[in-house]
Amino acid sequence: MFKLIKKGGMQKLFAFSALILIYLFFAFTGKNFTSSATTLNILASSYYVGFLALGATFVIISGGIDLSLGALMMASALIGGELYRDAGFPLWLCMVIMVLFATFVGLLNGLMVTKLKLPPFIATLGTMMGCLGFGSIITGTSSKYFPTILEPDGWFIRTFFKSANGVPLGAFYLLAFFIITFIILNKTKIGRYIFAIGNNEEAVRLSGIKVDLWKTLAYVISGLSVGIGSIFYAATYIVVIPNTGNGIELQAIAAVVIGGTSLAGGIGSLTGTMIGVFIMSVLKNGLISINLPAPYQVFFTGLVVIGAVLIDVYRNKRASKVKLK
Amino acid sequence: MKFKKSSKWLSLLLIVTLISLVFAGCATTEEDEDQYISVIAKGFQHQFWQVVKLGSEQAAIDLDVEIYFTGPEGESAISTQVDMLNAELAKDPLAICLAALSTESVLSQLQEAADKGIPVIGFDSGVPNAPAGQISANASTDNENAAGLGAEKMYEAIEAKVAAATVASPVTITVLSQDATSASVTGRTIGFTSRMYDLVVGAGLTASVTGDYAAANKGDAATSAVNITVVVGATPDITDMTNAATGVLSASNLLGVFLSNEGAVNGVLAALNAGSVLPEGVQVVGFDAGAGQKAAVSSGLFLGSITQDPFQIGYQAVALAVKAANGEAVADIDTGAKWYDASNMEEPDIAQLLYD
Repeated sequence: MFKLIKKGGMQKLFAFSALILIYLFFAFTGKNFTSSATTLNILASSYYVGFLALGATFVIISGGIDLSLGALMMASALIGGELYRDAGFPLWLCMVIMVLFATFVGLLNGLMVTKLKLPPFIATLGTMMGCLGFGSIITGTSSKYFPTILEPDGWFIRTFFKSANGVPLGAFYLLAFFIITFIILNKTKIGRYIFAIGNNEEAVRLSGIKVDLWKTLAYVISGLSVGIGSIFYAATYIVVIPNTGNGIELQAIAAVVIGGTSLAGGIGSLTGTMIGVFIMSVLKNGLISINLPAPYQVFFTGLVVIGAVLIDVYRNKRASKVKLK
Repeated sequence: MKFKKSSKWLSLLLIVTLISLVFAGCATTEEDEDQYISVIAKGFQHQFWQVVKLGSEQAAIDLDVEIYFTGPEGESAISTQVDMLNAELAKDPLAICLAALSTESVLSQLQEAADKGIPVIGFDSGVPNAPAGQISANASTDNENAAGLGAEKMYEAIEAKVAAATVASPVTITVLSQDATSASVTGRTIGFTSRMYDLVVGAGLTASVTGDYAAANKGDAATSAVNITVVVGATPDITDMTNAATGVLSASNLLGVFLSNEGAVNGVLAALNAGSVLPEGVQVVGFDAGAGQKAAVSSGLFLGSITQDPFQIGYQAVALAVKAANGEAVADIDTGAKWYDASNMEEPDIAQLLYD
């Protein structure tokens, strides 16, 4: 039983029960909350945060943090929009470049943390600001928009957001990405080393493992996820505005923490992260369904995050007590 | 290890259960609740939107409907507004009033509303360039009429000097605009110049409209006693607007200046701060409100300004939505504009329209 608690199983259970309770609450009180339209919205508004949060889970388990998620996603989407609208690149090529750019910035984050020994908080704060500025510079501070459903490239929306008859296709991509990252984190050397580094970096280093390599890889995975997330953001919202996007990383990090991943590193799960993403998404749509204004969503998400971290702190205390015995 | 593994598979199973639960939810029939109207604004923080909200709430009381007024945290929060619109569509309202932050980002939602038979009413700037038929009607300021009101007020103040003008010693009235592209600013430019032209010609004088906005041009400046000129800043940036304003104020025989939005007003105020002088007797008329403009009006520096009527924008949007929901034919409504100057800007019904 202690093993379960230590590995975050208990919190996953808490988070999952919370998700069910919140869902049931809105199902009974909200307007049309159980309708297919609302269900689609819950799934659709979780796409991009979902990709960001899955990638961020790797970084946080490794004992780091990535504050550049939101700004990087927007910078990557702005680059795509600029190349598509102004340089006339084909859309598929823009998407490839968006993913490559974000992955490259992820690599930069990783190298700054491992080679330059910058604290992750500062390194990624720097890239966050850099991305905000870069997005504005390359677009000349004008907003960029991706193809609308009325344009020939409308397949973009029909492929990555939802199909013409309303199937939330993005949810399937997110599920597929979840399965892939789940395997990487739980079934491969990459995942094992990232967990180990988060638990005790020094011990891993002393046992001759290339800590820098695996740690950098965590940031690269995060960057890659952001790049993919930017495609889904663009397909869902079409318009991308320069100098926005900071704050989205906090939603992603909140989802990770709600899902039981410890900010201290070494403990965490992608299943939990997905639960966290859906808790935020259900809250977002649920509060509107009971006619509460937008600021309440931010407020209640804050409460949920505090609750989740409280459990995390409590669990760490329990775990250290066990160790002392 | 066994424990750990099984807990992971258990959670995976739980996730799958949840997703199927959510999909099962789709099948349940929707409850029949009170029908209501969604009002989705561009934001909340400007006083402008607070007054729009008051107007829509008053309409809800008068027409005995329920409304839900919402909006994103700021005018760049497009994703929040799209999420809100999605959520409102899912609630099957009788009608939706929408002031879209971006038309492109709501096109699929407009299509969905059309498919579901939910009428969409545009308010304030509405949903510009939306596909034909997807916006039932708009409740917005008719910018041409509003600027025309400014032309009338200015004409009253300069009528005697205009009457004395001749082709040999012509006078100039200038419009300063921040761009020649946005619908609201070009509408005001056209509205002011054409009304002023009509007033001058109606008084038996010759007039011309020339300058940076070709669509407004009329007559020949060389043979006119009254030259109405349009000046458009190089960019809407405050520095370019200030440069443009400096040029406008240094023109000879200047009688009046119309500033078609807050950007133009701020350009003139910055030029005056930087040393330009407002020649004696030149009448300045502004548009919109804002702290600097209100101070200029209350101190008498400006003759007065035109303000939109956000209360009516909110009120008429809901009124149109109710009509459209009842299947009645609806058409665009001009929500009007109000003149304010130092004498009336403290009156409560005017003061509430003067947002900062």
